[in-house]
Amino acid sequence: MNTPTMNLKPLFMPRTHETTEGNKTGSWRYLRPRYEDKTSPCSTACPAGEDIARIEMLSAQGFFKEAWETILRENPLPGVCGRVCFHPCEGVCNREGFDSSLAIHTIERHLADTAARNDLKPALEKLASQPQKIAIIGSGPAGLSASWFFTMLGYACDIYEALSEAGGILRWGIPEYRLPAPVLRTEIGRIESQGIRIFTGKHISESELNKLRGNYSTVFMGCGYSRSTPLGVSGETSESVKDGLEFLRSVRQGEKPSCQGLSAVIGGGNTAVDVARTVIRLGGKAAILYRRRRQDMPAFAEEIAMAMEEGVALHELLAPGAIEAQGDQYKLILRKMKIEGQDKDGRGRIVPDGDKTSEVTVERIFTATGADVAEPWYNPPSDKSGAITLSHCQIKFDKEGIPLVYGGDLTNVTKNVTQAIASGKQAAMAIDTYFQQGRDAIESRLASCRVGDGLSLSMEVYMQGARRLRSSHIVQPEEINTDYFQFEARVVQPRLLVEERTGSFNEIDMRISANLAIREASRCFNCGLCNQCDNCYIFCPDVAVIRGRNMEDRHINFDYCKGCGLCAAECPRNAVTLEREGL
Amino acid sequence: MKRVLEGSHAVAEAVRLANVQVVSAYPITPQTHIVEIISDYCAKGKMNAKFIPVESEHSCLAALVGAQSAGVRTFTATSSQGLALMHEILHWVSAARLPIVMVDVNRALGPGWNIWTDQTDSLSQRDTGWIQLYCEDGQEVLDTTLQAFRLAERVNLPVMVVLDAFFLSHTYEPVDVPEQKEVDRFLPSYSPRFNLDTRNPYTLSPLVTPAFYMEMRHDMALAMDEAMTCFAEIEEEYAALFNRRYGSVEAVTCDDAEIILVTSGTITSTTRLLLEELRAKGEKVGLLKMKMFRPFPVEAVCRALGRAKKVAVIDRNFSFGAGGVFAQEIKAALYKLPVRPTVFGYIAGLGGRDVTTDILEEIYIKTRETDLPSQESIWIGLQEVKYAN
Amino acid sequence: MQIDAYDREYMCSGHVGCAGCGATIAMRLFMKAMGEKTIMVLPACCWSVIAGPYPQSAMKIPVIHTAFETGGATASGVRAALDMKGDTETSVVTWAGDGGTFDIGFQSLSGAVERNEDFIYVCYDNEAYMNTGIQRSSSTPYGAWTTTTPGQDWKRLRKKNIVEVLVAHRIPYVATANIAFPEDLIRKAQKAKSIKGSKFLHIFASCPTGWRIPSEMSVKIARMAVQTNIFPLYEVEDGIHYTINHKPKEYLVREYFKLQGRFRHLTDKDLDQIQTMVDEDWGLLLKKAGERS
Repeated sequence: MNTPTMNLKPLFMPRTHETTEGNKTGSWRYLRPRYEDKTSPCSTACPAGEDIARIEMLSAQGFFKEAWETILRENPLPGVCGRVCFHPCEGVCNREGFDSSLAIHTIERHLADTAARNDLKPALEKLASQPQKIAIIGSGPAGLSASWFFTMLGYACDIYEALSEAGGILRWGIPEYRLPAPVLRTEIGRIESQGIRIFTGKHISESELNKLRGNYSTVFMGCGYSRSTPLGVSGETSESVKDGLEFLRSVRQGEKPSCQGLSAVIGGGNTAVDVARTVIRLGGKAAILYRRRRQDMPAFAEEIAMAMEEGVALHELLAPGAIEAQGDQYKLILRKMKIEGQDKDGRGRIVPDGDKTSEVTVERIFTATGADVAEPWYNPPSDKSGAITLSHCQIKFDKEGIPLVYGGDLTNVTKNVTQAIASGKQAAMAIDTYFQQGRDAIESRLASCRVGDGLSLSMEVYMQGARRLRSSHIVQPEEINTDYFQFEARVVQPRLLVEERTGSFNEIDMRISANLAIREASRCFNCGLCNQCDNCYIFCPDVAVIRGRNMEDRHINFDYCKGCGLCAAECPRNAVTLEREGL
Repeated sequence: MKRVLEGSHAVAEAVRLANVQVVSAYPITPQTHIVEIISDYCAKGKMNAKFIPVESEHSCLAALVGAQSAGVRTFTATSSQGLALMHEILHWVSAARLPIVMVDVNRALGPGWNIWTDQTDSLSQRDTGWIQLYCEDGQEVLDTTLQAFRLAERVNLPVMVVLDAFFLSHTYEPVDVPEQKEVDRFLPSYSPRFNLDTRNPYTLSPLVTPAFYMEMRHDMALAMDEAMTCFAEIEEEYAALFNRRYGSVEAVTCDDAEIILVTSGTITSTTRLLLEELRAKGEKVGLLKMKMFRPFPVEAVCRALGRAKKVAVIDRNFSFGAGGVFAQEIKAALYKLPVRPTVFGYIAGLGGRDVTTDILEEIYIKTRETDLPSQESIWIGLQEVKYAN
Repeated sequence: MQIDAYDREYMCSGHVGCAGCGATIAMRLFMKAMGEKTIMVLPACCWSVIAGPYPQSAMKIPVIHTAFETGGATASGVRAALDMKGDTETSVVTWAGDGGTFDIGFQSLSGAVERNEDFIYVCYDNEAYMNTGIQRSSSTPYGAWTTTTPGQDWKRLRKKNIVEVLVAHRIPYVATANIAFPEDLIRKAQKAKSIKGSKFLHIFASCPTGWRIPSEMSVKIARMAVQTNIFPLYEVEDGIHYTINHKPKEYLVREYFKLQGRFRHLTDKDLDQIQTMVDEDWGLLLKKAGERS
């Protein structure tokens, strides 16, 4: 008997035997997606050009060491900057318009502290050794930065420091409660461990400089502004008016100058606030006298607020007129000022309010209205012929073509720690380019290392790291797909109580936990940076997003991609670019 | 073992013996007796099958599309309106090459509502790609249903087994119900030529473009042709086991007949009586019973009718604007002969009206006495009607 | 989001869905949850075409195409056959569009779930007959233009609440899902897979072609349907236990409407009326879930 399936003719029927993969639907496409990491606004606002979006991404994933190393590629002082940088990055954070900006500096500090606590050694790229040797005068942030980056580029560096310990303004200017010495020592220790020699107590005179120029291929001048500018009013003497910076230095050197009674602090910058708060900690009373208003003060708003919590008085629209000695005290005659119109920088323009004056009797007066070089020859020569003037440094060549670089406060328009770090980095890049390619190449080489459209430079880009592939397009708030983010409160910086603060020089800002740091870092939009969220993969209607073995490996299969654009639209952070096909 | 069974019951017994695994059904008079018994068999475990009590005939056949595609033997039964509702899926089943077996109990279509026998329901499905086999009595119903599974699974086309409402579905007759063991020899368990299988996934019944559609339809046409020969082979096998055969057509005293009556369904049995009477009177008359309608047995019809002078086709159905369906098909079949008998088309017994020996004799005499048919279709037994205002 | 567990892929590239097609995203995500032990019934819908012409298939599982109105019935048959073969592991899924579910296939669906057939019925809802060229269905929302509700004769009738209709059948599991919420969708598919009896998933799947939106907007629009409460994400067990999965912030429906060409003709007054209708529906849902707004 036949079974039903024996000797049967095959059926030609509607039954499939292939996949649709034979249809190359990529031919439908007129828009073409492309993975393209872009520039986050924070990174371009950071004078050091830190790769913040990536730092936060790594932090959010718990890769603290990698995040810390990512900072170190652009900034040798994360422990310092996490504390004292005025974080312009946070001011341009795209998250600001969503809920509130990311606490970038808090995470930076967390990373540095974590690395210090665990005694981590960074694994960083370093170029092959170069024959040239670099001398650096001054071990402030500019000098330390220059040495760090010169070393990265393969140069041997020696730092000459006049005082007994390295750090410059970081060691001697900024109070302990903002930047504890051990933090700084850890950072400097790590810099030294790269092979940099620091000669402390080695004041360099003008004549010694010329000698150094014979022994080194380049000298970097990073001597900083260490002297407060005088008030220029009658009755001003070294007795009546103390140099604010000098005062801070003496305190950091361990002295406890008497501060009984009321001290007047003239100025509106961070030094003025530092002086006033130091006076409070030494048992005195302090009043800041400022010729403009509180909102015009260059000091960080938060520092001002804390100072006032601590009992510092602030008097606005008062300019010093004259000083009269009254026994052990001084009568300070102040001209009242008023606002009339606007200055170029947008601040209210001040003019004397008629002849109105007021007086205050104080124990002592501190000037903190500005700073200047300790010795006039530190300044770059006014004759700029043959010199190269860059945004953060100036290079002068002697007859033999040996460059002398002025950096840090000596050349920076904005004088602060992070700008000083930027200066050191720029100097290292410029001199390396000069040595390798000649002076004509400097400008274009530096331009190619810019982060976004700003002045910040990236050493990682300079060293041909992965960051060079980043588009210079700065991600705008409207390019973020905020549907993928939830409102979440910014981390609150834990601090000492006011009572704890005023009684000691203990650091005010306390550590945050790793959990908190991860949570805060997770708030980051990671503007322009793929963080492997896989939205592109999940939503691709054409199964055309291919993931490789490596977690970061994603590509688009253009055989099938129809160019619908969903990968770009659903990328929360604008890491996918959509372009017209054939462009 | 001989048992006295209703025609419906004979169907149910065949389905039980055929080891059908999934049955779905929706009730419609006069099909209900069939599915009631099967449902009972499933419930009592007399059949190892799942009975799906669907919510319509359309779903009924669609459910079998699913089940048969998933690789099991399936069955359903319907009638009239139900078959009409299935129409779309009738096409689907055949083109999906699913060997589903269905019984249609011939019933008139409304309106007006009429539950009695009439072949228009099944014959109007003639272009759906189903094999159609018409039965005369309870035994033939049982035998044909069993054969239908073999035939369907051999050519991968569905088979419709057709029986008259009440005259057959509700009539008790002695039926020889074979033993399961013997049936299993004739009809082994189902082994599908394709089925939905997660280990070998493919898609059934996808979009087919003009590039392939014709070839698929041609493949169905070849299968339908093949069904004719296969049916004969299967009948031989069946006869070897059970000593019964029917043929795609049955010619009774046709060899010397001048006039041959062509019938299908239960009218055939009535005609057999008349035939005996007429032959006894010396009339040269024959009978051709049409069992197979699709594929249409052209050769057998020509062989049986080719030598007659006249052929009277009795249709219990009507295709409006054309005539009785069997008559049309027979005329078309005979066309290939160089010398053809004259074909008379008679319409009788619509909507369950009795077709008695008297009516059949009237038809015979009319045919004998007339050289040519007066009309394309001659309606027999029409009564005076009273029109509404 | 990270759905690492769902690397598996049961849909092929090269299918002929329109660029940005929501229905293909729905299929891809759903199948990631279901896995290879799945047989799919495809009544007529966009997917009848998307799945590819003979001899091709865009699916790596067995699929049976079937007539428009037979989604419930055909699946019943497949399930019956599998049961007879002793295969209880394989899931049977009907994958139908809104026309095949709300309209022509409704009887078959209702019949199948009344019998509590053990299968998952998925309706991917693009709110009109898109495959035939954007004709209105009973799923087309109030206010929409289609080719059969043209010009000023836009649809002035509510969308049928299919979920509540299914809930009324008291089947074990009914849930809504949305292509813009992949984790929720996958979770619900997996849940449906784990429950015996009839399961109904209503997946909102945007249609760039028919809704007159750019292809890259299809996920965003789908997301907004949830954010505006137009298409709430919820699930109902045994016809009684309601769980609302996502409580959106109060987005206004006009934000959703103004992005789509199919609603371009609506006036502010119309939109206000629609807002009222949406608010009313949401209120009803909250009541059923025993929650306050």
